[in-house]
Amino acid sequence: MEVKIAIKRSNAQTNGKAISQAYSIEMDGNRTLLDGLIRIREEQDPTLAFRGSCGTGFCGDCTMTVNGKGAVACRTKLGKALKKADDGIIEVGPLKLAKVAKDLMYDAENFHWQKFKAVEPWVDPVAPPAKGENVVANDEVQDLRAVMSCTQCGLCDQGCTVLVVDKTFLGPAALTKAYRAVFDSRDSRTAERLQKLSMRRGMWDCTHCFEASEHCPKRIEPTDRIFALHDKAIKAEAGPPKVVHHYKSFAASVKAHGWLDEARLAVETEGFTNVRGLMKLLPFAVKAGIKGKHPLPYMLHKKRPGAEHIKRIFEKWEDNGK
Amino acid sequence: MKYAFYPGCVSKGGCPELYPAVLKVADKLGLELVEMEDAGCTGAGILSREVSDPINARTFAKAEAMGLPIMTICSTCQGVMTQANHRLKDDEYRQMINREYLSEEGLEYKGTTDVRHMLWAIVEDYGLDKLRDLVVRPLNGLPVAQFYGCYLKRPPELMVPKEFAKTRKTALEDVIEALGGVAVKSSGRGKCCGFPILTSNEENSLSMCGDHTLDAKAKGAVAMVTPCPLCHLELDGKQADAAAHKGQEINIPVFHLPQLVGLAMGFSPKEMNLQRHLVSTKPIEQRLGVEVKA
Repeated sequence: MEVKIAIKRSNAQTNGKAISQAYSIEMDGNRTLLDGLIRIREEQDPTLAFRGSCGTGFCGDCTMTVNGKGAVACRTKLGKALKKADDGIIEVGPLKLAKVAKDLMYDAENFHWQKFKAVEPWVDPVAPPAKGENVVANDEVQDLRAVMSCTQCGLCDQGCTVLVVDKTFLGPAALTKAYRAVFDSRDSRTAERLQKLSMRRGMWDCTHCFEASEHCPKRIEPTDRIFALHDKAIKAEAGPPKVVHHYKSFAASVKAHGWLDEARLAVETEGFTNVRGLMKLLPFAVKAGIKGKHPLPYMLHKKRPGAEHIKRIFEKWEDNGK
Repeated sequence: MKYAFYPGCVSKGGCPELYPAVLKVADKLGLELVEMEDAGCTGAGILSREVSDPINARTFAKAEAMGLPIMTICSTCQGVMTQANHRLKDDEYRQMINREYLSEEGLEYKGTTDVRHMLWAIVEDYGLDKLRDLVVRPLNGLPVAQFYGCYLKRPPELMVPKEFAKTRKTALEDVIEALGGVAVKSSGRGKCCGFPILTSNEENSLSMCGDHTLDAKAKGAVAMVTPCPLCHLELDGKQADAAAHKGQEINIPVFHLPQLVGLAMGFSPKEMNLQRHLVSTKPIEQRLGVEVKA
């Protein structure tokens, strides 16, 4: 079948400006987009730059946008991409959130590697194992193995809503790498890692919107991994004070009343002694108060019927965790 | 149609305008709501699932005993509950929760409760044709940008499964159009509003709020509508801060879903508590010919 592909290119010849270049190839619809790009480079245009290595979805090298969405080229069938294309032309471009190096190649150093390095994704055991090997429970290995199947394709980062507004955010890919070390029972640096991950632009900047999980082709569920990091950090009271206060106040309020006391949450998140922080709340509180939107805190926040059962569930959970 | 109504925390807290509006609109639609007063917070993605799953299982067990599906009015409540309910489909896990957390109260969750957002109830249970029949004050081509709230869209296999793809993918757009408006597709409509990181990174949160509201305006919308009160707290509540952060005027009114439906069904702005919004809805009221007292 004839396959038309429009490739967004930017390189020295285009003076770094993005231009769309159209190609047409004859290829079976069951072949992949990577096959198509290789055909174009070999037969029509040797200057076309893209990455691609294993051809089977294992190396994560050929990530790009296809019809506006992030995709791994070697796992994208030409026929299917054509069906989703506007005007019968497959639109191909580089990843949207990464700096373009040339044509479809992005600057992986800034997009991936520096962030991966920042989370130090290796295990640091306390000491050499006494009997020559560290034995890890099967469940733990199964869980870590899923995370280790990450191919660093970058699709989770490409889908991230925070990276759109702040490219310095660590992002779900690096945080998933961090999970691999934090949840490995052989590692000796859990507390230190959780503190480091709590740095500005770190794990607390994640909105847990599930975009990362939706975009992960390996179903590693990066969003769930970040939830797990948050849980572990809160239990260890690692994290910026404001965030720890926020989580603890949320839990305390639900435990006491069965539901959330939002006004109390706002005050306790800032901290009673943080006069500056509390003053910052005032303008919004006044505006909301004038409009009748202000929730009632503490004594005026009534308990839900059955709140004692919610409290009992909390206590049981806390006992189980001890 | 009868539901075990789960109002959530925010509709009676930070967005007190929402709860009474829901009751009025549901009454007019003939949705019978039995409020679940004895139900805990879903956890909102803040509480660990280790404790929020048992709390949600308790809520599900109570609705199951009532023989009713749950109706939520918050994308976040809906998302957290749907995910918890999915995990509780696993017999071993559910039995553990029943044994460890619910049995002492004499409760048992069998795994049969359905949890439905009001948006889905309107589109799937009530029907858009019947909704159209109730419109007495059509939106007259009012361009409205829809903002779902990320938890109502993701994970897609749970929130928009294949059997509901037809109704849920465009539920908000379809409601806007049934009310006589024009649905404006802003790029942020299925994205996170920014509310969850207001505490940890206000700057990024305001950037997100600013981008979403400005994009809606740039695409021609004069108002926005959301089925999530947390998105409302951000898009309406923090809009002025976002405008200052972006250095641009925004000023786009944001409606809760039931308010927009109620307005089209003939309720007054006061009955829908529009006066409680931080961004004035007056320009929209005037455009729709609603009598506005000075």
